[in-house]
Amino acid sequence: MTQSFEQPTVQVQAPLLQLNGITKVLKGQGEPRTILSGVDFTVHPGQSVAILGRSGSGKSTLLSLIGLFDRADEGKYFLHGNDITKLPERRAAALRSAEFGFVFQRFFLLKHLTAAQNVAMALVNGQGWSARRKRKQQVMEALEQVGIAHLAKSKPTRLSGGEQQRVAIARALVRQPRIILADEPTGALDTETGNLVVEVLLNTTRQGCGLVLVTHDHDHASKMGRVMELRDGRFN
Amino acid sequence: MLSGKFRSALVIGGQGIRARKLRTFLSMVSLFLGVLAIVAVQAGSEIAERAMLTDVELQSGKDGTITGYVPGEKGAPGIVESTLKGRTDAVAMIGSRAIIGEPGVRPINEGGMPFEYAGRGGDYSGPMVYCDANGTCTEQKKEERKPDGQAIEVNMVALTGDIRPFKPFRPVSGSWLDFGTAPSLAPRIVLNEEAAKGLKQYRVPGEMMIDGATHHVSPQIIGVVQDGSMQPRVYMRLDELRTWMPAAASTTEVDRFRGGGTQLELYLQPGTDDLQQLLKAKLVGAGLSKDQMHFQAVNSKERMESELKIMRLIFLGMAFLVLLIGVAGILNVGLATVGERVEEFALRRAVGMSRMLLAGIVLAETLLTGLLTAALAIGAGAAGLQVALMMFGSRFPSLQGTAFPWEAGVAGVIAGLVAGVLGGLIPAIRAARIPIATVMRA
Repeated sequence: MTQSFEQPTVQVQAPLLQLNGITKVLKGQGEPRTILSGVDFTVHPGQSVAILGRSGSGKSTLLSLIGLFDRADEGKYFLHGNDITKLPERRAAALRSAEFGFVFQRFFLLKHLTAAQNVAMALVNGQGWSARRKRKQQVMEALEQVGIAHLAKSKPTRLSGGEQQRVAIARALVRQPRIILADEPTGALDTETGNLVVEVLLNTTRQGCGLVLVTHDHDHASKMGRVMELRDGRFN
Repeated sequence: MLSGKFRSALVIGGQGIRARKLRTFLSMVSLFLGVLAIVAVQAGSEIAERAMLTDVELQSGKDGTITGYVPGEKGAPGIVESTLKGRTDAVAMIGSRAIIGEPGVRPINEGGMPFEYAGRGGDYSGPMVYCDANGTCTEQKKEERKPDGQAIEVNMVALTGDIRPFKPFRPVSGSWLDFGTAPSLAPRIVLNEEAAKGLKQYRVPGEMMIDGATHHVSPQIIGVVQDGSMQPRVYMRLDELRTWMPAAASTTEVDRFRGGGTQLELYLQPGTDDLQQLLKAKLVGAGLSKDQMHFQAVNSKERMESELKIMRLIFLGMAFLVLLIGVAGILNVGLATVGERVEEFALRRAVGMSRMLLAGIVLAETLLTGLLTAALAIGAGAAGLQVALMMFGSRFPSLQGTAFPWEAGVAGVIAGLVAGVLGGLIPAIRAARIPIATVMRA
């Protein structure tokens, strides 16, 4: 008979995502313009990071690269330790669905759909299929998480700006992503509503979700675990 | 089970159509005429072909029937009659000349011509010379011209059985010959429309003189049929004719020279090769040459299809042009819609939809629109046909009982799908190429 002994384990939290030496050059009709230059960036589970910077500093471009909307010209991108720098588009779409939740300054809600249908949009994207009842349950849970379950059947035109942004956040949360990418989510809201939205976003980090918040607002940035400032395509 | 991608495409495509009802309607309007044109051309050509085929069947026989032509010489009518007696898979038509009306007068339509041309034939007054096979020619004594009178000349056709399984005569009034009853002394005759027209137009006495018959006959007219013939004809049972003409008259050389005499037409069902061989053997045994007998299968459909093919292609080409205009319409609306839905498409890609599926959704919307339009066009075509049949069906007997051809329905569905693909392809490619980063940042 053999006896097994429990080995003591050391918990090392691997980064959710890690960007090394990321460079992005905009090649338009005129001279090529470097937007990001050798950027290094890391987010751990449950960590919230605010990215500050003036307009044109490269904040949104960085968020696009993290969210796999676009590809870097140079550098490496690791997600859960896997190199996804040169991921084909189909797999990038699958990762966007499984790993990321997006919140934008303009809420991008479809006017012809109800709040619940707008949230369900993230579930009906060709990445797997769940039954209508299960979808409905997931949608209602996401809406409850942001405190607007009672508005599930309302069309966006009947909702206030704050409510619309919370619907957008519910849409980002419905697939239970590992990272939330928020690009100036409070830009179109008044201070009070903006604070409420930031609170909702911060709540997600308590469940282990990473949060990257691009903002101009220093008050909102200060609520994050880490604040970084981009200037001329580099972190200060 | 449907895949997640396919289900997603259907759900989102359906939402897109419901959200843009007016645009979908406008796309359908532009496409409707094109698909309807295709349906109408296809249905028209199918119906025309069937109508023509029905008319040809009346004269030549149904497709696949074996028809035989045998000269009425050397006892051939008797041989054919005895061989086919009691058979239902083969019928012989023995044709002769008959005059209905006053005896000893010149018929109104001498030569059995259609009544429209009665009296227009003129009168050839020169000598008639007959030359036999050896080249010996003799002048024929010209028959004395009979006085004009109340009589009509018809082509008399005696039948060994029911001919309608081979030639689908259409009933006009009364009934058809009943071959199951005992022969009547007063032969029952069925007229074709031209003969009925002659009897109605010229009130002639009900007495019939048949070439080769021993006595004049008082027939009973029991019905009128449409047989596709321009000439006046009467049909009767051969066994009833036999009472008055015990032996079938043979055609003489002089009859043949005059274009008259007994003619034999045979109609056999496919697969009766043994019967055909038996008949040929008996006729050859009686002294007829094989070259004098002609048997062939009726193949009207194939011949007509090749004749109609060019016409159909021309009309389909024109209909396709109309369809292209519809495609241009759906393409125009599709491109405008993609321009309007840039944010929606970028957002869908941002939440994980692949380019391919996004293109599939746009294509699914135009395909659904195309199919919906096709269904409406097919419905309109079928309804239009019913209305046209109600209004004009009585004028065109060959169209009676015409149903909407399934081929037109298939053509409509294909046209709708093709239009959907052609009209949706470019918008689908554009939708798939929308850059997420640029749109979501704007």
